[in-house]
Amino acid sequence: MSHLSSALLVATLAAPLALLAACFVKSWRPCALALQWLAPAPGLAAGVLGVTAAPGSFDLPGLGFTLRLDPPGALLLAVAALLWIVVTAAVWRERAPDERFGLCWLLTMTGSLGVFIAGDLVSFYLVYALVSIPAYGLFAFSDDAEKKRAGAIYMAFAIFGEALLLLGFAALAAGEPHGSSRIADVMAALPASPWRDVILALIVAGFGMKMGLIPFNGWMPLNYAAAPIPAAAVLSGAGVKAGVIGLIRFLPLGVPLQGWGEALAALGFLTAFYGVLLGLTQQNPKTILAYSSISQMGVIAAALGMALGAGDVSASGDVAFYAANHLLVKAALFLTIGALAARGAPLSGAPLGGWTLALAAALALSLAGLPFTGGALAKLASKAQFASGWAASLATLSSIGTALLMTHFVARLDAPPPDAARECPLALVRFWPAVALGAILLPWLFYPAFGDVSEALGLAKFWEGLWPVLIGVGLALGLRRLGLRRLGWPAPRVPAGDSIVLFEGAFARLLALGPGFETLDARLRQWPAAGVSLLLIVLALLAAGVLG
Amino acid sequence: MSPWVLAGLVGAALVGLGLYGLILHPHPLRKLLAFNLIGSGVFLVFGIVARRGAAAGFSFDPIPQAMVITGIVVAFAASALAVALILRLHAESGRVTLDPEAWTKPDDGAAKS
Amino acid sequence: MMAPDPTTPGGSLLVLAILLPCAGIILSFVLGGRNAERVALGLTPFGFALACAIAFHVASAGKPVVYALGGLAPPLGIALRADGVSAVMLVAAAVILTAASFYARAKFATPEGAPESRIALTFWIMLQAIWAALTIIFVGGDLFNLYVALELLTFAAVPLVCIDGRPETLAAALRYLLFALFGSISYLLGVALFYGAYGTLDIPLLAQKVQSTPIVWMAAALMTGGLLAKTALFPLHLWLPPAHANAPAAASAVLSGLVVKGSFFLTLRLWFYVLPALPAAGAANILGALGSAAIIVGSVLALRQARLKLLIAYSTVAQIGYLFLVFPLAMGAHVWSDIGWSAGVMQILAHAFAKAAMFLSAGLLAEALGHDQIARLGGAARALPMTFLTLGLGGLSLMGLPPSGGFSAKWLMLQASVASGQWVWTLPVLAGGLLAAGYVYRILTPALSEGDIVLKAPPKRSREAIALGLALIALALGFAPQGFFDLLEIGRPLAAGTLR
Repeated sequence: MSHLSSALLVATLAAPLALLAACFVKSWRPCALALQWLAPAPGLAAGVLGVTAAPGSFDLPGLGFTLRLDPPGALLLAVAALLWIVVTAAVWRERAPDERFGLCWLLTMTGSLGVFIAGDLVSFYLVYALVSIPAYGLFAFSDDAEKKRAGAIYMAFAIFGEALLLLGFAALAAGEPHGSSRIADVMAALPASPWRDVILALIVAGFGMKMGLIPFNGWMPLNYAAAPIPAAAVLSGAGVKAGVIGLIRFLPLGVPLQGWGEALAALGFLTAFYGVLLGLTQQNPKTILAYSSISQMGVIAAALGMALGAGDVSASGDVAFYAANHLLVKAALFLTIGALAARGAPLSGAPLGGWTLALAAALALSLAGLPFTGGALAKLASKAQFASGWAASLATLSSIGTALLMTHFVARLDAPPPDAARECPLALVRFWPAVALGAILLPWLFYPAFGDVSEALGLAKFWEGLWPVLIGVGLALGLRRLGLRRLGWPAPRVPAGDSIVLFEGAFARLLALGPGFETLDARLRQWPAAGVSLLLIVLALLAAGVLG
Repeated sequence: MSPWVLAGLVGAALVGLGLYGLILHPHPLRKLLAFNLIGSGVFLVFGIVARRGAAAGFSFDPIPQAMVITGIVVAFAASALAVALILRLHAESGRVTLDPEAWTKPDDGAAKS
Repeated sequence: MMAPDPTTPGGSLLVLAILLPCAGIILSFVLGGRNAERVALGLTPFGFALACAIAFHVASAGKPVVYALGGLAPPLGIALRADGVSAVMLVAAAVILTAASFYARAKFATPEGAPESRIALTFWIMLQAIWAALTIIFVGGDLFNLYVALELLTFAAVPLVCIDGRPETLAAALRYLLFALFGSISYLLGVALFYGAYGTLDIPLLAQKVQSTPIVWMAAALMTGGLLAKTALFPLHLWLPPAHANAPAAASAVLSGLVVKGSFFLTLRLWFYVLPALPAAGAANILGALGSAAIIVGSVLALRQARLKLLIAYSTVAQIGYLFLVFPLAMGAHVWSDIGWSAGVMQILAHAFAKAAMFLSAGLLAEALGHDQIARLGGAARALPMTFLTLGLGGLSLMGLPPSGGFSAKWLMLQASVASGQWVWTLPVLAGGLLAAGYVYRILTPALSEGDIVLKAPPKRSREAIALGLALIALALGFAPQGFFDLLEIGRPLAAGTLR
């Protein structure tokens, strides 16, 4: 690995950490927070250089940490860094948010960039915790009951996911015969590990929680509905990709595992359709986007599942490209909610201009693979994974579903949540067309590293990309027009977060055990009980020794 | 019955009595006395242990004796400390009980620090 | 037959390390009043330097530092012995006691002009007595000597609990004392049986002789039971929450961070140094099961406390449970037992520093706000940013999130459980982490949310810095290099009679 790229890799983490350190001095804090939009710059440079470079890794002397960069990680790093720069600069340009928010933002940013370059188990776990836990502060410090609820649920899933991953990682490390904790080494040892199936289950469940795979999808709609628009943009764009890179890094793609691959693909497709169906029942555009994220993450999980079943290593690049496109588009779509609300507001409810709506629609349909958008390329990239019969049909079906859901989203843009216009920074409102165009076109810049651009421009591909979108849009418009309202459309109204209600119920039952524990503790803390316990322990130890 | 066996039996009886008192008597002073009973029983066991020396040709092994003396000093110190605490508790509150419920009055942690 | 004097270079440092706090106690008595504080504070740097020197000797020699009292080798004489773990514990104790001493100045100092108080004198003397007792526990090589040290530790800790003389603290102290006496008499009976069986109480000599006979198991069971009572392992924790929650903050930090570790250290000595040759899997599983129960019940109770200091005290009950997982995870001479051993010691250290930092912060918070009710902490983080930073960092270590010593401990514990095929121990480790996250969340969320809070008196920056420093050490433990774990292995017997 060249000196320049190792220096940039170190700087990717060092820059935000240095700003974080500066925050400890009270007088420097506002300045450090205002400058944090610069912190992802080294990451952007490292990512752009790394997309076409050979994979490499770099051991940080002394700390035992390893950093590594390969093209999939580099691509995600580059687009994530870009997103963080744009949104951070816009947010702090207007008025500095309060310091709690600023610190949480910086911590989340550090973790979000770090996951793409962490090269050993411990540092990956560290940055993964950073991208998950401080994000709580981006939306939940509030007196609003719904935001508190969203925060608590988010935290519960984040911590639970962390616990699963900790066990999975510990088992990975224990299975590596030479005591190395580099991801490359532990993954090489995984296929032969006696605990392979347990580890895979933990990995899929742990990262699946971050990606919102069913049944762990409930936190996401609540989170994005509660988050202010810039926070929702970075979390849905960059934050969720921590789960994607996790699966890319920790699934043994080089070894065909038929059963696991099919199971993951089935789970992924199930999530993809579930997200679309539930999204159609929602009214809040933020919530609709959250369900679209769930659905898209399902597609990614399905692609990885197909690759895992086939032992297809190259899938990591394809999936990373798909994820990078989703990163840009989903973030831009969240900004669209705010920007269009702000742009529409002065006209007091007058309909948005035609081209604005067209741009927003193009952006939204990019997710469904509309030709000439980045989404078309993403679809092309995932072609290899969805080549076989049933997978190809399901992938096409999911494109149709996405187009349907995205049309529903565009239709709901005229009813943004009340704070949307205020939450979106002014700079992003003004330059929203540039942001949207950037999100549509940027993937074209990176695609040459992963495939042949000219392939996307052929007439056959054009038609292949267009017809599912047309069907989806047509279906959506048809459903609206045909007066299905009479049949209860778009009901049934499902509460945002659907299955979360069940989790909350289970959690409440768990909480109800608390008084029982208190009684137990009070009983055991009575002197006679404790004295007898001591005698029993002595006898038990004696018996264990003599008999065992 | 040899003296050693007798000493052992008496030691065991003292420990048993002491255990009963320590576990079941609610009053701290009784618990303290019970503790001293157990202590005496244990010291008797040490006395039997000293007989090991006899097998080696000495009339007795001096080390357990030394340990018993140290143990008695420690037990005495412990008793003194406990009695002091009991007296102080009585002086401060007018009652002497170990029941945790008796002391759970509303307390906001202000005076602790 | 006279064995050669086993004293090694640097052995006299061990004697000095014990004598220094003892001399401090006597000096404080003689000079009295305001001088006790000066003596105690003045001796802390020397104590710290001695601990570091011992650690340096152990690390550089690669084998334990030994001193035979009076030049007589065991079994006739008594040896002091510092191996890797003792050296590390000595340094940790020196750091925490020093921090607690300087923190306590605000409360127990006797400024010029102010009348001398008995409370202050008691505090400084007892603090030094704890230091002396802990030092003997860490370097003692004779089971009866260790009994005396254990008693000293209890006698020094009990007055600290009730130093303010309120009835509820007196009752807590009395409970603590009486239950500890129960434990100590059990330990003493075990010692008598060991001496009766083998005629020596020197740890390495016993380790060579012990065999799996009923009398040995009886002795081990009695000693362990006694030590568990003093360590407050669930379900023997009746005394801990009121004692630790009602003591002054500086005392709570020492009690929770160090004093319970003293008796736990002896439990380690017993099973890993005296009895390594015995097949103890059954006993280890019992201890592990009790530890697991402690983790779950302690954490759930911590979740339900209304007062911050009680929450932290119950968290100690839970964290003590983690310590006992070391028995199933490090017993025997397997590939994984080294990992389990490192995990156990790391847990001792991480908890010692994190918990001390949290108790000190809780004390500052109670002084600044006039209460420590968790429900009334709304917005307190804005008024006391540094205190809550410390609480948060300490909580990070308790939850086992990286980078922290608590994370390293859990990480190694999980690896050892997986590698040894004892998956069952991963459940309490993970569940404890989740529950810890719950109670840390309970403290931090209201504090970080909106709310106006009136400070009675802003805390002194230096005291906040002391607490923060301890929390940062708990974090820095997460970066411990391999050399540190090698140090922990120095002098640990693997099986009968073989030293590393």
